[in-house]
Amino acid sequence: MTGNGCDPMRPYLGRLVGKKELGTDIRLFQIELTEPVGKSHFADYRPGQFAFVSALGVGEAPFGITSIPSRGEVLEFGVAKLGSVTGALHSLEVGEMVGVRGPLGNWFPMNEIKGKNIIVLGGGIGGAPLRPVINSILDHRSDYGHLTILWAARTPSLLVFTDEYETWQSAPDTTLHLTVDKGDEHWKAAGRSEGLITQLLEKVAPSPENAVTITCGPPIMIHFVSLTLKKLGFSLDQMWTTLEARMHCGIGKCGRCNMGEKLVCADGPVFRQDQVAGFLESFL
Amino acid sequence: MKVITSDALGAWLDRLASETILLAPRSVDGIALYRPVAGSNEIVFDYTRPKMSPKEAVFPSTETLLSIEKHSQDVTLSEPVQEKKQVIFGLRPCDAHGIAVLDAVFVEKEPVDRSYARRREATTLVGLACPQMWESCFCTSMGGAPDDPSHMDVLLTAVPNGYAVNVVTEKGKALVADLELGEMTGALPHPTLGETVQPLPAERWPERFADRYWDLLAERCIGCRVCAYVCPTCRCFDVRDEVAERRTGFSRYNRLRCWDSCTGPNYRITAGGHNPRPTKGQRLRNRFFCKFYYMLQDYGSTGCVGCGRCIEACPVNIDIVEMLHDISKEPVISEVTA
Repeated sequence: MTGNGCDPMRPYLGRLVGKKELGTDIRLFQIELTEPVGKSHFADYRPGQFAFVSALGVGEAPFGITSIPSRGEVLEFGVAKLGSVTGALHSLEVGEMVGVRGPLGNWFPMNEIKGKNIIVLGGGIGGAPLRPVINSILDHRSDYGHLTILWAARTPSLLVFTDEYETWQSAPDTTLHLTVDKGDEHWKAAGRSEGLITQLLEKVAPSPENAVTITCGPPIMIHFVSLTLKKLGFSLDQMWTTLEARMHCGIGKCGRCNMGEKLVCADGPVFRQDQVAGFLESFL
Repeated sequence: MKVITSDALGAWLDRLASETILLAPRSVDGIALYRPVAGSNEIVFDYTRPKMSPKEAVFPSTETLLSIEKHSQDVTLSEPVQEKKQVIFGLRPCDAHGIAVLDAVFVEKEPVDRSYARRREATTLVGLACPQMWESCFCTSMGGAPDDPSHMDVLLTAVPNGYAVNVVTEKGKALVADLELGEMTGALPHPTLGETVQPLPAERWPERFADRYWDLLAERCIGCRVCAYVCPTCRCFDVRDEVAERRTGFSRYNRLRCWDSCTGPNYRITAGGHNPRPTKGQRLRNRFFCKFYYMLQDYGSTGCVGCGRCIEACPVNIDIVEMLHDISKEPVISEVTA
């Protein structure tokens, strides 16, 4: 949205057309932009890009866009209720107006990774910005090699997009592995995996040959996943991740999201792990 | 070069004050501050540097980016009206340099920040050269000088028969177009210079990142953020909505942008509670690295102009010049911090 004549700090208006429970205090928000200029700027956003969503009258916060434009005009965001803006978003009713500012930031290199085996590692709400990666691959299945999804959360009720697992699993050449730090009775009774995503990763042990990994989750998870991947023979330049930071502009002005001289908003949020390793300041 | 008499300058300033917004050093409770003035009689001429930088004139401490009106289910957004023209008179060269640094962030790097750019476009800078460097001044260490016209539209210099008028830009030319100016005779006075410090070259700053020096320096920092507020170049901000009016079926909110500072403890905390910069040492280090390394990498401009305000304002005597001296030496404390 640079250089198109619009004020980059002004959100586009949109209407909340749907909301769905994704987990405990986690919801999917479906937004239809109502202004033509907004629709046109969100016509071709990419997996990994983010946008600020406004709870108008409370404030705005950045979220990874979890939809892909080829599946429809409606923008989707997975939002965990954590602070004042997310709290206000959660209390909105379908039909109410919101603001959306973006699309912002860079994106996952979906073209460059064609032909490769892809390992997607999502932790908790960190799965939200990875869903467009998964759906893009599924929609262009023959362009990519094997897709391995490792999906984790602290508890079963925090696993996101559960109603899509069947579609993911039944897609050709795709495997889904789930784990939770601590299972409930049902989880245990079903004999499903308990433990950290790094333990699951060691067990699944994907081959680094002709493969790339795409990870999102809490910073500490991203860190330990990269260490485990290294053990499995992956080099840092095979690992992609997307980072989060508190932000107030998303356009490289407010100074909030810097890690050393890198700005998560303007230089990221998508980084390769060798770039992350080269940051002067830790993201942890 | 041209010259204007003190009387003619006074008359010109009186006219500017009546035609436009004129900001100039004014005594507020005995403290010189850049403030709107109604005429030249309100302007103080024997000031050093005003306590606050003129940053507020182009980047207010609080501004409305957007108004949000809700009529039941309908929402309208409106941006504030165009800024009125303003002239900042009596601006010091370091302060014009500070505005140039803000320009680098808000205007020269895409995308343009509309709110800042509008106000900046409507602003003309008429500086007054400093006769000397005062206590805490170190502009000459930051590429400036007490008589540097670089970032001005017009720079005046006091001379025995009035003020020498250096018209620097087209904007300045337009402002002084109808002034009757005399011919300047003799040379401009040389300002008295202070000491300079040789800062560590930018490319060597990363060597000093993991140094315990920052923790030790920050031990006495109370995170009051005054250094950022008096700084002509600190531009970190926060954005939030505030209720302006609320009645049945109607509400109006202002989306406000407010100054903020990276030395505040909550600066980096996300809603989820993650804080990648939890210690004071890390935060103070960020402030200084931003000024002398990050800004240069990201915006092509050093983030310090040597005005010395932060030195004078800091309640615990954290001194940016002392820091520059300290870190240009070989690390004496090499113990690594997080």
